[in-house]
Amino acid sequence: MEIAQIRRIIRICTRTGKIMLQNGAETYRVEDTVQRMAESKGLMAVNVFVIPTGIMFSAEHGIETITVLERVNPEGIDLESIDRANEFSRKFTLTDMSIEAAESNLDALLSTPQFSKKIRILASGMGGGFFVLMFGGTFIEFILAYIASSMTVYITDTIDSKHLNFFIRNIIGGFTSMLIAVLSVTLVRAIGFDATLTMVIVGPLMTLVPGVSLTNGIRDLISGELLAGSAKIMEALFIAIALAFGVGMVLQFSLKLL
Amino acid sequence: MNLITQGIYSFLSVVGFSVLFNLPRKLILAASISGMIGWVVYITFQLLGTNFIIPAFAGSIAVGLVGEILAVVKKHPATLFTIPGIIPFVPGYGIYYTMLHIVEKDFNRALTTGAESIFIAISIACGIVLATSFIRIVRPNIEKIFKIV
Repeated sequence: MEIAQIRRIIRICTRTGKIMLQNGAETYRVEDTVQRMAESKGLMAVNVFVIPTGIMFSAEHGIETITVLERVNPEGIDLESIDRANEFSRKFTLTDMSIEAAESNLDALLSTPQFSKKIRILASGMGGGFFVLMFGGTFIEFILAYIASSMTVYITDTIDSKHLNFFIRNIIGGFTSMLIAVLSVTLVRAIGFDATLTMVIVGPLMTLVPGVSLTNGIRDLISGELLAGSAKIMEALFIAIALAFGVGMVLQFSLKLL
Repeated sequence: MNLITQGIYSFLSVVGFSVLFNLPRKLILAASISGMIGWVVYITFQLLGTNFIIPAFAGSIAVGLVGEILAVVKKHPATLFTIPGIIPFVPGYGIYYTMLHIVEKDFNRALTTGAESIFIAISIACGIVLATSFIRIVRPNIEKIFKIV
């Protein structure tokens, strides 16, 4: 094969890895996928090194060594994209797909179907609301948490479309979730029902807290990916700090109210 | 009775989070069932009065096993079932509380909640890895069983 073709194949491999990593796949899965894709096309001495913010790839072709670095910005969890990229890589490895076909397939991966905004907002209310019931909340607290979670996801989705930095996004997310929770609890109390703030805030915060990245980070550490694991844990820590910032701002003022 | 209502709540909650994680539509039911099984196991162990690590460990082993079996049956990566499945007992709320205690200058409670949530995360990760390794050993047998069925 010509060197230009080899380069295109390597691009296809690293771009598939990028899509998976961007959408929250585990480090070992990305390394494994890229390596298998490259080896199936006859490249020798393939080495893939993945951290949450980048993919490093090197392979030998004849007497030449080709190295590619792909920069990645994590964009939260999108399981549909991971699933499709996984399926594509399997097809690419097992069949004799032409380079052109693979490239057009890869372009299609960039626009996976998303749930409509309305369903996302309703579902996030469900996620947060029933979480409150799982922790022993009352029916009124469930409704308040449902509304607060929906509003929080609506606002963070709006921020996400503006591509703000993740720290600012989480400060705003924490701030709005707490603000809505405080306001709704005060309102409900004024009407004459009872609701506790610590219970209501569980719901909307669950849509923001970095529990999955913390667990995935530790999973990476256990399987020996020390650098990737530490990076994910740091990310989780800083998301939590940002949330505490946002929530703390509201709490300082609301402590006198409630 | 309590277990049944808890199961229903966790099922619906995981459905919500599955949509947030943009899980493929046809897999939402399966992922939610795996989350429900995990939470019911978690609650059962909590009712038995064990310490805070065992319930999360047992629950995540259940989620990992169910997720891996679903992965074999439905031919999709196991992550698609385990990430929504562990949501109910993931210690996100714990790390948030740790940070909040630090902001409030309550360092003793920050240390307690922080250590607790890190150990819960470790036990969840251990549980999932354990289940994955176990299934990898017995995988040929499972595939055989499902071929017969």
